[in-house]
Parts: sequence; C-alpha cells; structure tokens
Amino acid sequence: MPQSADKVKDHISLFQEPEYKELFENKKANYECRVSDEDVAKQIEYTKTWEYREKNFARKHAVINPPRACQPLGSVYAAAGFEGAMPYVHGSQGCAAYFRSHLSRHFKDAALCVSDSMTEDGAVFGGLNNLVDGLQNCYALYKPKMIVMSTTCMSEVIGDDLSAFIATAKEKEVIPADFPVPFAHTPSFVGSHLNGYDLMIKGVFSYFWDREAQLTPVKGETINIIPGFDGYAPANNREIERYLGMMGVDYTLICDVKDTFDSPTDGHYKMYYGGTKLDDVRASINAKATVSLQEFSTEKTLEYVATKGQETVALNSPMGLTGTDAFLMTVSKLSGKAIPEELEVERGRLVDAIADSAAWLHGKRVSVFGDPDFVYGLTGFLLELGMEPVHLLASNGNSDWEAKMKELLASSPFGGSGQVFINKDLWHMRSLLFTEPVDLLIGSSYGKYLEKDTGTPFIRLGFPIFDRHHHHRFPTFGYQGALRILVEILDRVFEVADNASDISFDLTR
Amino acid sequence: MLKNKIAELMNEPGCATNQAKSDAQRKKGCSKPLTPGAAAGGCCFDGAKIALQPITDVVHLVHGPIACEGNSWDTRNSWSSGGDLYRLGFTTDLSNLDIVHGGEKKLYKAIKRSIARYKPAAVFVYQTCVGALIGDDVDAVCKAATERLGTPVIPVNAPGFVGSKNLGNRLGGEALFEHVIGTVDPGDAGPTDINILGEYNVAGELDQFRPLLARLGIRLRASITGDARFRDVAACHTARANMVLCSQALVTLARKMKETYGIPYFEGSFYGISDTSDALRNIARMLVEKGADPTLTDRAEALIAEEEAKAWAALAQFRPRLAGRKVLLYTGGVKSWSVIQALQEVGMEVVGSSVRKATEADKAKALERLGGDEDKLADAITPRDMYAMFTDGKADMMLSGGRSQFVALKARTPWLDINQERHHGYACYDGMVELVRQIDLAINNPIWAQVRRPAPWEEA
Repeated sequence: MPQSADKVKDHISLFQEPEYKELFENKKANYECRVSDEDVAKQIEYTKTWEYREKNFARKHAVINPPRACQPLGSVYAAAGFEGAMPYVHGSQGCAAYFRSHLSRHFKDAALCVSDSMTEDGAVFGGLNNLVDGLQNCYALYKPKMIVMSTTCMSEVIGDDLSAFIATAKEKEVIPADFPVPFAHTPSFVGSHLNGYDLMIKGVFSYFWDREAQLTPVKGETINIIPGFDGYAPANNREIERYLGMMGVDYTLICDVKDTFDSPTDGHYKMYYGGTKLDDVRASINAKATVSLQEFSTEKTLEYVATKGQETVALNSPMGLTGTDAFLMTVSKLSGKAIPEELEVERGRLVDAIADSAAWLHGKRVSVFGDPDFVYGLTGFLLELGMEPVHLLASNGNSDWEAKMKELLASSPFGGSGQVFINKDLWHMRSLLFTEPVDLLIGSSYGKYLEKDTGTPFIRLGFPIFDRHHHHRFPTFGYQGALRILVEILDRVFEVADNASDISFDLTR
Repeated sequence: MLKNKIAELMNEPGCATNQAKSDAQRKKGCSKPLTPGAAAGGCCFDGAKIALQPITDVVHLVHGPIACEGNSWDTRNSWSSGGDLYRLGFTTDLSNLDIVHGGEKKLYKAIKRSIARYKPAAVFVYQTCVGALIGDDVDAVCKAATERLGTPVIPVNAPGFVGSKNLGNRLGGEALFEHVIGTVDPGDAGPTDINILGEYNVAGELDQFRPLLARLGIRLRASITGDARFRDVAACHTARANMVLCSQALVTLARKMKETYGIPYFEGSFYGISDTSDALRNIARMLVEKGADPTLTDRAEALIAEEEAKAWAALAQFRPRLAGRKVLLYTGGVKSWSVIQALQEVGMEVVGSSVRKATEADKAKALERLGGDEDKLADAITPRDMYAMFTDGKADMMLSGGRSQFVALKARTPWLDINQERHHGYACYDGMVELVRQIDLAINNPIWAQVRRPAPWEEA
C-alpha cells in the first residue's frame, strides 16, 4: 500500500504512487469510453486558433468560467461593514452558505450570514412566514444591533415584497418596531456583486435617513468615504484612514469591513467586531460630501446621496500615482486641508521605485481581468509603469466603464494595443491569450487555470484570492499599495527571467 | 617576491602613460594613492578575481575569511556557453583558530576536497589579506597540491592590501602567464588562431564577435578570460596574434607573450562600429603577416563593408527619435570614445565623457571625436557636479556603471547600465545597434515625463 500510518502521504504526493497511477490508467482505458488522446490533443490545438476565437466570441447562450459573483454576495459583504449587523438572506439557505464560504476563503476570517431557509412550501405560498420566523429567531439567537436583509433568486422569482413583509413582522411584534432592518432586492439573475453592494449601501442610508426618521440634512464639515466592494479592504481602509488622519480630515468610513474581516486572535470570539457605527451612519447625512472610491460599486448610492444635497465624487480605485493623487486632491479640495509634506515624500519614494525598475517593465504586455474599478485603477498604474495593457476584461463592466477605459488607454502612448471587453468570461480570455500572447496575466485566483493552460505568467490581484493567504492584509490602494503591486509585478518578471535561461541566471538584476 | 613583481608591473614598457613619465614618477608606480576616508573602488584581490573568474571549468577557491568570497560571489554577468562550475563559491572560511594555527592545512584539504568532488580542469587559489598577514604560503601549498593531486593548482597571489583593483587585474594576468600559459600543447595549432585579452563575456558579448571571426575562418583560441576553458588558456601560446581589449588590465600579459612566444599584439576595441572594423582589419593584417592566407585581407574588407552597411542602416531608424538628445558618458571599463561615434551618427550630442581610466591615446581619440572641446573631457566628475548637469538640463541621459546610477535617477534622468551588471551585449555591429536601441528605450520611456512631474497639487 502506498499509504501507511508511519508515513502519511498527502494528496499532492499520494496520487503519484504507482498503485494510483495504474488505477487511473485502468479507469481511463476500460471505463471512461474516451475519444483517443490524439483526437483530444487535436481539438485542444484547434481551440487555440483564431478561427476558434471568433466562434468563441460569437457564443451567446453559455458563460464558461465566469469571473464575477452575484448580487447578494455584494450585499452580504456590504452588511458586514456596519456595527453589530447581521447579514440576513431572504431565500434559500444554500445561497447564504455560499456567501459565507466565499468571503471566508478569501479573508481567512469568519463571515456571518443567516438565511430564512425557504423551502418548497415557502416557494408556493410566499416567504412571509419564513421571514417572520427568521427575524424572530435571528433577533433572539444572535442579538444583533441591526439585521441587513437581501434576497436571492428564489424569493425574487416569486416576487416577495420585503418592505411589506418586514412591516408585517414588526406588527406581529417578533422584533421591536424601532429595530433597524434595512433591505435591498438583490436577485442573482441581474447584475453582479457590485450592484448588490451598491443597493445595500443605498438601503442602509435610506433606512436611517428616510425610514427610521425623516432626517433633514444640516451641512457639516465631515466627508463620507465609501470604499466600495474591495477584497483588500482591511489593508486599504487602514491605508486610506492613515492618509485622512495625516491630513486632519474629519471623515466617516461608510461600510468599514477592516475589522470584521481582519479580527485579531486574542482568545475571545466576538460575533460582531468593528464596522461603521450606526450613529455615524445617521449623522452621515450631514456630511459636506460623499466620496466613493469605486464608481461602479456605488452608482445608485451616489445618486441617492446627491438628492440629500451633498456633493458626490466617484473615483475609480485610488491605485498607482495618478489614482492616489486624484484621491488626495479630491479630499484636499473638499475639506480645504493641505496634503502634508510626509505624503509628498511617500509619493517621492514610489516615484523613485518606478524610476529604478522601469527598464524591466517597459513594453511588457499585460492582460487584466476583474471588477471594473479594479481593472481601471490597475490599468492606469500599468500605463504609468510603461507596461502595455492588452486585454482588459470586466465581465460585469457596463458601457460607461467601457467608454472610460478607452479614454484612459487613448491618453497614454502605452495604451495603443489595449482592447476592452465587457460581458465576457475567462474562456474568452483563454482565446485572447492563445491568439495574442502576452507577458503577464493579472486577476483573481481563477486565473491560475489560465496560467496552467496558456503558460502565461500570472499575478494574483483582485477578488477572490482563494489559493494564496493574507494578500488582503497588505494594501493595493495608495502609494504603499502601488509599491506592493510594483513589487509583485517585478518579482514575477524576474522569476520569469530566472526560469527562462541558465546562461543569464544572474545574481544581480 | 610579491614586492618585486609589483614593482615590475608598475613599470610597464607596453604602457604609453608609463613611458611618458619621468624616471622619478615611474618609480612611484602608476597606482593613484588611495585617500583614507574617501570612497574607493575594489581591492587587489577583487581585481584578480574578476580577471580570472570567467574561466568556466575550474574551481575558484578563496583562501580567506568568509566575506571575501561571500560578498563577491557571482556578482558579475560573465556568461558561460558551457559548465557553471565557475559560479560556485569556494572559500576556506578562515576563522579564529586558523589565524592562530595557520591555514595552510585547511587550504590543502579544501583543494583536495574540491578536486575530488568537482573534478575541475584546475583549481585557482586566491590569497587574501588574512592569509597573507598570517604568512600562509599559498605558492608552496599550490605546488605541493599540484604534485600530489595531479590537477593543476594555480596560486593567485594578490591579497587585497597590496594595491588597487587594477593592480589585481594585472596580478591575475601574471598568475596566468607564470602558471598556466604554455603548459598545454593543443596539437591543432593553425595559421589563423588568435587570442583576445581583457574580454569577460559580459552579457554574452563574446557571441557578438565570435561569429564574425568564424565567418573569416579565424579561430578564437582563447578569450582571456570570458567564457574560457582552462585547456584553451593553457594552450594560448600557440596563437598567431593577440588582441588586447582592456589594455589597462592585461597589456603586461600581452607584452610578455610577445617577448616569450613571439605573438604580436595590438590594442583594439569591439565597442563602436568603426572600431570593430579597425579591430577586424588589424587581426587580418597581423595574421597575414604571420603567414595566413593573404586573401584574408580582402575577405575581411568585404565582411566589414557588409556589416557596416547593415549596422548604419539599422541605426538610421533611431535618428528621428534620438537626434538632438544630450548624453553624458561616465564609464570605466567600456571605452568611451568608441561609442561616441555611433551616438553622434544617430544625431545625439555627447556633452561629456570621462577618461578616468583611459590612456593618452584614448583621450586623444575621444577629444578628436568631440571636436577638440577639452571641457567635455573629464577625469572624475563629482556626484555634485554630475547632479548639477542633469538638473541644469546639460545632459538628458547618462551611460555609466551601477555605482553612479543613483545620481542620475535621483535627478530624474534616464540612465543606462553599460558596466558589468548589464544584461545586453553591446559589442560589435549588432551590439552597437542594441546599445542605441536600449538608449532609445531608456530616454524615450514616457515614464520620465511622469517621474519628473511634481506632485499635481504642487503644479498650480
């Protein structure tokens, strides 16, 4: 036997043992009824051609390897950014379990979420009973300060009305009448996690500003910052707060998951840890302005905030030099506070690093996939580094994003070969990489299959990152984030150089 | 003995600078005295090591405390077309007790062990300050080891304190002359064999001129020492001509080979287009004088005409992108004057060139190409002056070695590495086109516009 108690092999090595290899071969030869290896190889070769690429891009009725998640994932993430909040999914429990595992696998931390476990009778008679019972149980069992409700496909298909149902639950006195239950309708079959995030932030605002009490804004000095859906939020939020602190700006971070998803291990389990204080959310209506760090995570939210008379600014991820400059200058302009010297020095260090290494990055061709603002921010930085973005794919990008990307590419001499793709998946990306090879691929963990398949060196940046640990603990925003990204790109470039040749396997580079 | 050798090296009749000196000056030697407290270059050991390290199939064993090898291990991009043995770091790692009891036995054991384990063509043993101070007799250990172990063990007696890095280069050459050259008969000596001295195959440059030689039917017996094999170096006394690339390092070796083996030599360069052509012409002429097929001269001319035309045509495409840009050359090993012409050809203006390590002849040539403007020739430029040149806009770019790169980079000025840590070969016709291409990539990189821009909130 290859496996013994004295020396237990893990699955990486176990299946390389002769017994298993023989078993696999036997299975393949006698039970799988396969087409021949030659035919498979021929077909694989065919899928690398331009002809196949055109067929692939003409594909209408299937998505293969989708690089995006669904609306309620975004709304569960949004809910996690508020003090004492329990994310609640009205619908089937499997969905809620997916959201928890998705977030936990990325953040390596607990992700709370309950559902009201709708079953067949719920689908037939409507989900009201489940929702009433669910609110009662959730409130009694977990003692949250707020329950943040989103929906899944199931409750949306049957058309459950959350507003009316929650009102009914309160009439039945299963929860106190003044207990906050903000909600958003978030069917998975429309949009992506970014829309779910957007609608839920809007839902929280509108609950505290309009439903709980009809608040009248009194313009103050504070600035609201909405980070947007961001896999690097723990580190990015801290980085952004550090800048705001250095500038002495009075701010409120709206939906702050930095502690929720990055809590310390100190011997105590805290069910609710961190998040934006509910009183701060109530007061945030009085802010001077609201700045979204990710335009396409917050379209509806900003529209709503603007109706309260606030100035709104939408940025596209403060990444790289220009992205970070834009953030600092926006905040400086809105708050009237100067950008301190220390930040200019920090900026200078980034410029120094770029100048030191530019020769190694010049003209390197890169493909990027991910959420729209991430792709936009990163593309801007790649252009600053003298790299050439080639395929820029956001499966959940809209036509506004597409137009904005094209404008960005046209603004740089390195943008000439850039092509922008929306509504496309990673199987499309595969065709792109085979027909127009690039030097680097950047995207979420799902890119690892493309790396193995196409041989394109791959850098993990984006959401989700499942197969590498703790990347979310280091920022991607700001000058420090730019340094981190620069170093990751350089490491990969040097690794490729080291692997490529024995002769130029140089110690100093 | 070492003292006599150094005195002899300081009086090099093959060196024009030395011959121009008065007797009294000559006696002082040519090394510039080091200034305590001022930044200085590498030591004598370092010089010897880098001159010999590129020999690929031998063990390079450093007899000294750990850091002499530890800090210099594999830091130069001398490439090999064969084995990688030369890139391993070997040292006797002398420590407290060795210094009390002497390190000779340890050295012998290290030699024995390295031979048993790696079966090298030879072992080169480098003396260091510590070994020399405690009186370890490296020459005697090497002699005994050679006799007992049957593999040549070559002492390189150039401890760090005896002088500059350049002296070390020359002591390395001495070691080759005394212990290596002439010890092997190749059995196939031909009328068109040549050696190249002072070439280190940085970034694979040897393969930019080996093919040119091959097309003329010329065999490169040994490159000393880039990509060299021990046997080839040992048999290089059978060559018909020597070309000295870096005369500062190995002209003494060339002169001694001329005196002992009757091999004529000339100093030339493979950096720059017409310099490459001159070098090929000289090689052909010398071989014909020594009895090679006289048609070699015409074949060389045909090759030169073809390659020059190709190279100038390739350079022309860069002209629109580079014309009018101002370059500062701040170089040590690579001869400045030989690239000036190519840069001028693409319309660039050479605003200054350092001649720190150049001979009088080099300086004269550089001056001629710079239109006789003496102000453009500088010995050493202080970082402060260099920085001022960039900030005042007198230079758009610098070509230099790694040590001065940050002066340019901090002044937000493009910089190109043309020293040993670079990754592109710049030799011969193809190499010069590559150099200009790299200059284009560096100077026209849009990154600089961004690097130079102040923080945007400062602009208004």
